Amino acid sequence: MNQLDELRDIIVGDSAQQLNELAERIEDVEKRTKDVAEVLSPAIDQQGDKLANSLQKPVSIGLKRAIRSEPKEYAEILYPVMAPSIRRAIAQAISSMMVTINRTIESATTVQGLSLRYQSLRTGIPYAELALRRSLLYRVEHVYLIHRETGMAIESLHSEGTEAPDSDAVSAMFSAIQSFVQDSFSSDESSLLSGFKVGEQNVWVANGPNSMLACVIRGDAPESLKTELYNTLDLIRTQYGNSLVDFEGDVAPFSGIDLYLQPLLQSELKESESPRSPDSKKTMPLGSAIFMALLVLGGIFFLAKWMMGKSDIATVEHFLRDTPGVAATDIYWSNGKLRVKGLKDPDAVIPYETLESYGIEQELLVFNMIPFRSLEVDMEMQRFRNELDLPTGVELLVQDGEIQLRGRAPLTWLNSKGSRLRQLAADRRLSVKPLAATRSSVSTLLKTSLPYDAVKDLRLSHVQDKVQTTVVISGSTDLPTLTLLRSLFAANDWVDVTAIPKGAQ
Amino acid sequence: MDKKKICMVGDFSVGKTSLTQKFVNNVFSEKYLTTIGVKIDTVEVESTKLIIWDVAGRDSLSPINASYLVGAAGVILVADGTRESTVSGLLDIWAVVEKRIGSVPCVVALNKCDLPDWHVSESNLDEFASRDWSVFQTSAKKGHDVETLFHTLVAKI
Ligand SMILES: Nc1nc2c(ncn2[C@@H]2O[C@H](COP(=O)(O)OP(=O)(O)O)[C@@H](O)[C@H]2O)c(=O)[nH]1
Ligand SMILES: [Mg+2]
Repeated sequence: MNQLDELRDIIVGDSAQQLNELAERIEDVEKRTKDVAEVLSPAIDQQGDKLANSLQKPVSIGLKRAIRSEPKEYAEILYPVMAPSIRRAIAQAISSMMVTINRTIESATTVQGLSLRYQSLRTGIPYAELALRRSLLYRVEHVYLIHRETGMAIESLHSEGTEAPDSDAVSAMFSAIQSFVQDSFSSDESSLLSGFKVGEQNVWVANGPNSMLACVIRGDAPESLKTELYNTLDLIRTQYGNSLVDFEGDVAPFSGIDLYLQPLLQSELKESESPRSPDSKKTMPLGSAIFMALLVLGGIFFLAKWMMGKSDIATVEHFLRDTPGVAATDIYWSNGKLRVKGLKDPDAVIPYETLESYGIEQELLVFNMIPFRSLEVDMEMQRFRNELDLPTGVELLVQDGEIQLRGRAPLTWLNSKGSRLRQLAADRRLSVKPLAATRSSVSTLLKTSLPYDAVKDLRLSHVQDKVQTTVVISGSTDLPTLTLLRSLFAANDWVDVTAIPKGAQ
Repeated sequence: MDKKKICMVGDFSVGKTSLTQKFVNNVFSEKYLTTIGVKIDTVEVESTKLIIWDVAGRDSLSPINASYLVGAAGVILVADGTRESTVSGLLDIWAVVEKRIGSVPCVVALNKCDLPDWHVSESNLDEFASRDWSVFQTSAKKGHDVETLFHTLVAKI
């Protein structure tokens, strides 16, 4: 023991040993891990809220990654949660459709239907359109978002010109009626009141877990509004879910919620019944309306089947639908393979990689596709890109629904693609209006094929007219050169010669 | 503005509707009360909007309809001071309330204090006091202590 240690021993005594131990504990990773583990759980208990805040982001990132890497497993976990609401959505869709079909058939057979037929004959307006008009005449006058438990109004909107009643009282009354109906008829969750009628006014109610949405409608609104109500409720739930659960009467956390409700304050006004030429609007005869409805029903049935375990078909269908240049008409299992029938543009690319990440291997898929030429914008753009071998400075873009080639291209490229471009433009598949030759390519051509003296007084400029942009050669030169120039560019769309003979000024 | 739902509960004909009527701006006709068993009125007290549910009993066996209580921030227990049974009945009613929505703030109105034959036993008052309930002798007819009744409840919630 040296003197320094002795001295330390005298001053700090036993503590020296403790200090050493402490230092050891801090340096030893294993021990430190053990220490932290010991206090972690009580620390979390104590700091629950704060910790949740700090963990929110990493947990969310981790979750996203985990779901992306194992989508199937998570889908299975989520299935019991999602399935009931999907099922409800389907039930809702079917019932909406049934009502529409019923109404159409009803109006085709009742006295009112007959009078509409007569009106149709008299005015020349197609029957279906008259029937449609009648059923679209409505106005949503009040919208109430009601907290289910307390029956209080979270937000209410009123259409212009209607008298706004005490929305808290009305909301409470709605929820009281809801409880009354439930108490009196059934306590089953699905048997909630979904609407009632008071004279000219209909009250439609959409029920969510913590809130309900009630609309007071004058006239007959289309059934699609019901779906809209439920969609709005879902949106609100994703945006304000926690505030809905915690609501105790303070509406401050719901600021901005009126933006979600505003679109529901819709109306469809009756058009004046002036006669129109019968062919001014094409309408659907009843037969094909029912056929369409059956088609949609078939689609829903398909979806339901998928929910019972045929999710692969739905996945393939989903991604093919999003693939430009592919129109799948039939996807089915046969001999352990997923067969896809339909149309496919030769340039279309099947998203095998995406499908693989959803557990559908390339070998599983058999395509029986008839080749076709798709005019979808995406497909066309891709085709043009492949075919035209665009030089730098030229881009393909979509403007007002029209595909355009824009920019400045070397004259040589323009000349080599010229006839093809003209053909595409004539077919209206492509516009070349904003496309022009670069001045440098024209000037290089002049300089390499003519003596310097002949071209030194010529000027090049871009001129755009209604049809296209051209490079104009102006200025003056000697007559032989001018003749040569004129013949050189006589058949060229991209260059015009307006130069004049020397001495003619 | 903060909003609170409160419920008027108590036996048949003790004066729930009369007390509410005295205090609020009327919104719905009393017809609702007999048809669906509840009538709703609203009133602003200080900076709180009270939504008052006046709940009628379904029959003599079930003095209140418990499903209307859900979401209430407080209740007013009303009894008729001239009918002893309605006063002791408050304890049963409170049990229903407590079972459904827990121990929410409450105040007690012993109503019709303008009438002469007052029958409120000491034992009942002791019982109320032991529960820390604020008890008021009210008269919906004369307006006695009606304001205080509601304001006290608002202060508690
Ligand atoms: N004298 C007197 N009569 C009252 C008072 N409050 C209510 N009443 C009467 O008692 C009866 C029942 O009142 P009501 O408010 O309908 O009782 P509820 O059934 O509890 O709503 C009515 O005839 C009222 O006029 C009061 O303070 N004094
Ligand atoms: Mg009453």
